[in-house]
Amino acid sequence: METVAIPTKAKISLIAITKQYITPRTGQTTLAVSDVSLNIQQGEFLCIVGPSGCGKSTILSMIAGLTKPSSGTISMDGNAIHGPGRERGVVFQDYALFPWKTVRENIEFGPRFRDRAPLSTAARRELVDHYIELVSLNGSEDKYPHELSGGMRQRCAFARALANEPDVLLMDEPFAALDAQTRLILQEELLRIWGEELPRDKRKTVVFITHGIDEAVFLADRVAVMSNHPGQIKMEKPIGLPRPRNEGVRLTTDFQKLVDEIWQLIRHDAYEATIGKAGIKQA
Amino acid sequence: MSLEEKTADRTSSPRASGVPSAVSTMLIYLRSMGIFALIWYAGAWWIGNPVLLPSPVAVVQSLFSLIASGEVASNAASSLQRLAMGFAGAALIGIPLGLLMGMSRILYALVDPLIELLRPISGIAWIPLGMFILGVGETLPTAIMFYGAFFPIVINTLIGVRSVDERLIQAAKVLGVGRSSIILNVVLPASLPNILVGLRLGAGAAWTAMVAAELIGAPSGLGFAVEWYRELLMTPSVLAFVFLIGLFGYLFDKLLRALQTAITPWANISREVI
Amino acid sequence: MALSRRFLPFVLPLALLILWQAGVSTLQPGPRTPTPGSVVSTAWSLISTGQLPLAMILSLGRVLTGFVSAAVCAILIGFLMAVSPSIGRNLDPLMESFRPIAPIALLPLAILWFGTGTSAAAFIVGYAAFFPILINTIQGVRSIDPSLPRAARTLGVGLPAIIRNVILPGALPNIFVGARLGLGLAWSSIIAAELAVGAKTGDAGSGGIGQMMFVFYAYSVDLSGIIVCMIAVGVVALVIDRGLRAVEKRLLPWKQ
Ligand SMILES: Nc1ncnc2c1ncn2[C@@H]1O[C@H](COP(=O)(O)OP(=O)(O)OP(=O)(O)O)[C@@H](O)[C@H]1O
Ligand SMILES: [Mg+2]
Repeated sequence: METVAIPTKAKISLIAITKQYITPRTGQTTLAVSDVSLNIQQGEFLCIVGPSGCGKSTILSMIAGLTKPSSGTISMDGNAIHGPGRERGVVFQDYALFPWKTVRENIEFGPRFRDRAPLSTAARRELVDHYIELVSLNGSEDKYPHELSGGMRQRCAFARALANEPDVLLMDEPFAALDAQTRLILQEELLRIWGEELPRDKRKTVVFITHGIDEAVFLADRVAVMSNHPGQIKMEKPIGLPRPRNEGVRLTTDFQKLVDEIWQLIRHDAYEATIGKAGIKQA
Repeated sequence: MSLEEKTADRTSSPRASGVPSAVSTMLIYLRSMGIFALIWYAGAWWIGNPVLLPSPVAVVQSLFSLIASGEVASNAASSLQRLAMGFAGAALIGIPLGLLMGMSRILYALVDPLIELLRPISGIAWIPLGMFILGVGETLPTAIMFYGAFFPIVINTLIGVRSVDERLIQAAKVLGVGRSSIILNVVLPASLPNILVGLRLGAGAAWTAMVAAELIGAPSGLGFAVEWYRELLMTPSVLAFVFLIGLFGYLFDKLLRALQTAITPWANISREVI
Repeated sequence: MALSRRFLPFVLPLALLILWQAGVSTLQPGPRTPTPGSVVSTAWSLISTGQLPLAMILSLGRVLTGFVSAAVCAILIGFLMAVSPSIGRNLDPLMESFRPIAPIALLPLAILWFGTGTSAAAFIVGYAAFFPILINTIQGVRSIDPSLPRAARTLGVGLPAIIRNVILPGALPNIFVGARLGLGLAWSSIIAAELAVGAKTGDAGSGGIGQMMFVFYAYSVDLSGIIVCMIAVGVVALVIDRGLRAVEKRLLPWKQ
């Protein structure tokens, strides 16, 4: 396949992306994403929020190369994306850990079996040890996923994506299945591992999908707010809160203001997505 | 989530409370079987006809004398040898065929109709034709066992491949892993639990088919011995061989179960349906 | 491409048929060698003379007798074993000890006890069907979420109503799985039983499809007849399986 060079400085760029699903059974078409254009810069932490069913997962899966857009182009570093590749790591919502592999074997899956430049045993061991340490899974290396708590599974999935050393991390509601406390802790962990103190060009580029507006504001450099029917980007909100961020940020009025502003934007859509049009009128 | 918790419980509890509960199950087992033997004994005494219902003592005695005379060993050996050959053949052909059918639509479309056509015809129904083609002897029971074991193995392997979680394949893809590695490291281990279920079902089917085939068309084996002693009206020996058929069937299943837990420690197969 | 896909399913069966016909016509065909043509004509004559339907009805009648009595016993015992832990614990050793015995191994005993008539065959069939239904009934009752009967009790519902409206529907899907397995096993066991009885009594046996096959094998050496019987056995097995699935769908609409 020829690679189309697209003149842009963005790390990842989506140009006029549309995605239509056709259900083969009924022949019915669903317009999941309509004319979305988005640029994501090197080292940027972008959060996407929006009501259920607005096409967030679809966008992420297209960036990952697992789904093809119906029209439009997605490129990374100026090269069009044609399929999944190790430079774009994905953390799935339900983690998708291999149940027959231990924590260690899950984490070394990419470095060991990937097509291009798999590592030697020794190099792999060192690398995997490093990431086990980084996500604090020491002592659980030889457990199977079903022997882990939800939070540990999440960290294992995260380490598996990181150990493949991608440039871009794509995360689809990675904390959705966790309890509130664990989620708060892992949010801070995520920022630490991402490397808040590092200069931009050393950081990984992150696309992070969430339902939690406060989670998005806490983590992101920029929040893209999506709307429903059809899935479109309604607004992009830069988050200027200083880094490194910690629990204290949540108490500041700036933080509260940003959360409230985004909530007002998607409130209507969210109600509509959940309880239907009739419900809104009553409320 | 609750399923996972249950299995986590199960893996951790036997070590804690396993010893007393093993002893008590053993006691309950002995008690139940003891009561059964007593009822049997009383019934035999009541009927008073050792050809119709011999007492358990007579059965045990004849079992020992059959073991001593080497008859048990020779018949069991020929049955087990047939089982090994028929079953191994079915596994060696059935598993790869199931894997390939699961991954290639074309092969599936090609082979599946034939399987669906043949499957309803049980191995036992092949016995008369088989006797005609293969004659009474070694080959017939082996072939019938192969046939009986083959379908459960292929079909369960196929089910296994089909039920591989699409997310896991995607997860491997986004790590940059290629097709052959995915087959070897994702598809095969993911379908292993189903393959093992297929092996166990296949072994059961083969064992049943074997008894039928030996009863009618073989000059040796456990099934043959049962019928042989019935014609001689030596019911204690008949029952002794029936017991052995049950024992070997049980042991083989036990072996496969042990294999199941040994090589798929991650699988929490909680629903076991025979 | 799409068109050739359509034809793929017919390729192998047709190829086998052609191979069979070709093999028969190139190798010198003995008068008894079955050909596709002779199988069809034998099938026609067996059906039109009523021989095949009659044998089939005899066999099916035995299967039904054995199966229904086995199902009644297995469901009752299974219910008791699952509901009462003490009954379950005490009967479990017996059930586990008898389950691995291949049903056909009991045929010689059944012949001793009941002779070569219908009751021996029905006994074997019942034995074959009993264990799958029993195991699946126990499994089905045990798999019911314990909060459901508890919820029913908090609503003031009595025990008989709970059994009828909570436990039975909850266990029914598994019972159906067991019944389907059991009926399939019963059908192949009846063939074995009748074959073996046929082998003992020859022409003078009590009939049924299995005995018919044995007579074709040992007396008239009619291979086409054997093949017709095999196909008939397969068709009945298929009809039984699909029929039970259809009934299951009707009775369990909540299981999509
Ligand atoms: N494979 C598919 N086939 C058909 N329609 C699909 C498919 N996947 C998604 N859709 C439809 O596309 C739309 C967007 O789905 P998507 O999963 O991207 O939403 P989402 O924003 O991630 O929702 P959530 O927040 O609930 O995860 C939905 O209307 C959904 O029904
Ligand atoms: Mg989603």
